[in-house]
Order: sequence, then structure tokens, then C-alpha cells
Amino acid sequence: MTKLQAKNIVKHFDHNGNSIVALDGINLSVEEGDFVCIVGPSGCGKSTFLNIVAGLETPDSGEILLNGKPISTPGPDRTMVFQEGALFPWLKVIDNVEFGLKMAGIPQDERREISERYLDMMQLTKFADSYTYQLSTGMKQRVAIARALAMDPEILLMDEPFAALDSQTRDLLLVELQLIWERTKKTIIFVTHNISESVILGNKVEIFKNRPSKIKKEIIIDYRRPRLAEDENLQKYYHQILDELKSEVIAQTKDEIQ
Amino acid sequence: MTENMSKKSRRNLDDAANTALLIAAFIGVWQIIFMLGIWPKISLPSPAMVAETFVKILWNGSLPESIGVTLIRLFGAFAISLTLGTLIGFTMVKFKGFGKTLNSFSAGLLSFPSIAWVPFSILLIGFNELGIMFVVIMSSIFSIMISTYSSIRNIPPIYLDAAKNMGAKGISLFRHVTIPAATPSLIIGLRQAWSFAWHAIIGAEILMSIVGLGHILSVGREFLDMSQVIASMITIFAIGLLVDRLLLHKMEDKIRRKWGLDNHR
Repeated sequence: MTKLQAKNIVKHFDHNGNSIVALDGINLSVEEGDFVCIVGPSGCGKSTFLNIVAGLETPDSGEILLNGKPISTPGPDRTMVFQEGALFPWLKVIDNVEFGLKMAGIPQDERREISERYLDMMQLTKFADSYTYQLSTGMKQRVAIARALAMDPEILLMDEPFAALDSQTRDLLLVELQLIWERTKKTIIFVTHNISESVILGNKVEIFKNRPSKIKKEIIIDYRRPRLAEDENLQKYYHQILDELKSEVIAQTKDEIQ
Repeated sequence: MTENMSKKSRRNLDDAANTALLIAAFIGVWQIIFMLGIWPKISLPSPAMVAETFVKILWNGSLPESIGVTLIRLFGAFAISLTLGTLIGFTMVKFKGFGKTLNSFSAGLLSFPSIAWVPFSILLIGFNELGIMFVVIMSSIFSIMISTYSSIRNIPPIYLDAAKNMGAKGISLFRHVTIPAATPSLIIGLRQAWSFAWHAIIGAEILMSIVGLGHILSVGREFLDMSQVIASMITIFAIGLLVDRLLLHKMEDKIRRKWGLDNHR
């Protein structure tokens, strides 16, 4: 069943009075339970696309359908894990995880039960009463994932959530995320500029073309899980994506020099 | 944890020792200047003479009464200023064009001397309690308006995005995200407004009151009683310091610790 559909999404930006085409007709279908990675050079508009899916930005034309119904505002059915710094420093870890549930008017007892379950899943039980500044960057992102999952969203959106992590923590979280995905059967869209991440995580990898952005190619990765960063067999996918992206990065560099 | 606590109490002890040392040095220098006899006793009394006057006005009730009157006026006026200023600040955030205009307007009034409101207030309202409170309100409200407006506007957009993403909107977004996110900066504004209000009340009382701390200060001048002038000044200084340190600074400290803003090495 198609969970989410993007139909011909177009988005312009103003840059010094000039209108720049950021997204030039993005079409994407995400099936229920899919793990879709969007990979592309930085500045190619992939985060903008994710923000549009989240309802935080509006497209100039085109529409997003969730379960066949058009959406235009932000909503807890599409929770997002941001790159970093999106946890609330005035709340304890557990209250951060419960925030969305509180907004949804779920009673305290039930909130506590749900948040404890997800803190346990992310191995954060010990830190429930900590404030966010007491956590490492890696732990913060675990809290952010727990917070997003606690809402039991239709679709989980992830905007380069591991970009600020050191490589050991990242490798660990890459495995954990796969296990969580298998356990919760969530539909996930994961944006990254890191090719390895996309190969390890995605069933489908969507390669974004440089501005004006379009989906250049879709690569299906049908390989056993959990996939590890050091797995040699993933190399061929990696190179396939790299070849597609190389020309884009070169084009972008030229663009910036001019 | 215990090590932390003992570290903290040692730091407090150090702070107290430093403060005592500073006060002792100040009194020492004062005593020396007094003994040099540059000024006549009536112009510059000794620390002991001031202490004597201090005890006198404390016992005859004029100092406690003055403190009481001044603080009641101040808290009353500051409460009004805080309420109105915050509400106007929220309105400025809500209506952007209005906010921008009023912000630059208020910035001008921020540096407007509080004393300069006195003649206006006497003619408009009169030589009374309300007139004094009006001066205090006008001297602190702009600081509160500006701080409310800029604190909310400077909230990192990612907090608001994340909150909206989790279904927060309208009043609950405001209450559970906007207000707490702006709090550290709001408290700094509050401290500033408090100090403006404190300046204003003393000034206004000197010029337009028959009771209060500002008044006993000006009575001291009229009766050429420098001891009373200095004793009043010390009281004004001490109250200002106590409120800032014990109330506002404590609040700010608590929030900064909770947010982890003091973990700079």
C-alpha cells in the first residue's frame, strides 16, 4: 500500500532578488514499511523536500498525499528527527519524549508508560531525569528518536540525524536504527549526504540531482539486515551511487565558483 | 556530588570573605580621609558617626517606615509595568509591523532619563502616590516590552519547528514552548527593568514625596545632616543589591544551570 506520495513538488527560493528553483518537480512514492534514503550533494534541496513532507514548508505547486489524503500543515502523523539541537533544554529527557503525547492530550499515566517503553528501547532509562545538556550528542539523538517514535507516527522523517556524531557512535546507531525499523515496521524517509549511511539503511535510495533538484535515479538495495558499515558486499551499491553523485558534485562546485 | 557541594560551599565562603574584605577596605579608606580633615565634619562624617545615625533612624522608626513605603510603591508599580509591558510585548510579536515600529520607538525611550518624567507626571497626575508610580512605570515598561519582544523573536526556530511537528499549536505552543524557550533571556530583561525601576523610584521620591527612602535622603540634605544622607544611600545600595542577588540573580542562575548554560570551561 502506498503510504506517502509526492506529486510534482516545485519550490522556489528568493536569492538576492533572483528566484532560484530549489525543487523542480519531485515525484516519489513511499510504500508502507519502506525505508527510503534520500541522498544528494549538500544544498540540493533534500532537506527542503523533507520539510515540505513534514508540513513545515509549503510547496509552490504539487501536493503530498499521506494515505491518499493531501496534507499541508505539520502534524504528529509525520514526526521528524532533526539534525541536532531540537530537544527542549527546559525539559527533562522523559518530558521531552512525552511532549508530543502531552500535546495530543494523552493522560499522564499513559504518557509515562509509553515514554518509558521508548526510553527503554533506546537504552536511556537511566537518563530519564537528566536534562539534555548532560547528554552526549549521540544520546541526544537517541532521545530525539525516542521522542519521534513515541508519537507512533504514520511515517518517520529523519533529516541527517547522524551528521554531527563521531563515527563509532554513528555506526552503532546505524545498526540500532535498522533493528528498531524491523521491530516497529515504521515507514521511514531518511535524508543524508553520506552515501554509506544511505546504503546501510535504505531499501530504496533516491539520488537527488543538483539544483534544480529532481530525483535522478532510484536504487533498490535488497540485502540482508542488519547491515554493517564494514560489509564488503555493500561496496558495489556504494560505488553505483557515488558514480551518479560525482557529476552532481562537480556541477555544483562549478555553479558555486561562478 | 558531595565533593561538588563542598566545592560550592567553599566558593560561597570565599565570596563572603572577599566581600567582607572589600567593605573593610572601603571603611578604612573612608576613616583615613576623615582623619586627614580635608572636609569639615559636617560635610564628611566618620563611619562611626554614620553608624550612629543609622541606629538612630532605625530605632525611631523613620528608616523602616521609609523602606516599607518605598518598597510598596515600587512593587506595585513594577507589577503593573511587568504585566502591561509583557502584554504589549506579546502584541508586538503577534503583529509584526506594529512590533517593529514600537521596538525602535521604545529603544529611544529606554535611554530617556527617568527623572525627566517627573515634571510631566506632577502636572498630569499630581503630587501623589500615583504620580510617583507613574514615573516608575514609565521608566521600566519599555525595557520589559523590548525584552519580551526580542526574547521571543530570538527563540531558535528549530524549537518551534520541532514543537509544531509534534502537534503543538496556538495557546499550548505558546505556553509549553515559546515561554520556556524565551525565559533565560526574559529574566535578563527583568533584571534590567528592575534596576531602571529602582533608579526611578528614588529619583521620584526625592522630588515628589513626603515619605520614603528618597525622601529621607533629601531631608538629610535640607537639615545639613550628611550622616543621614550617607546612611540612606547605604540602605538604598543594600536593598538594590539584595533584591538583585537574592531574587533575580538566583532565578537566572537556576535556569542557566538547568539549561546547562554555565558549563563553559
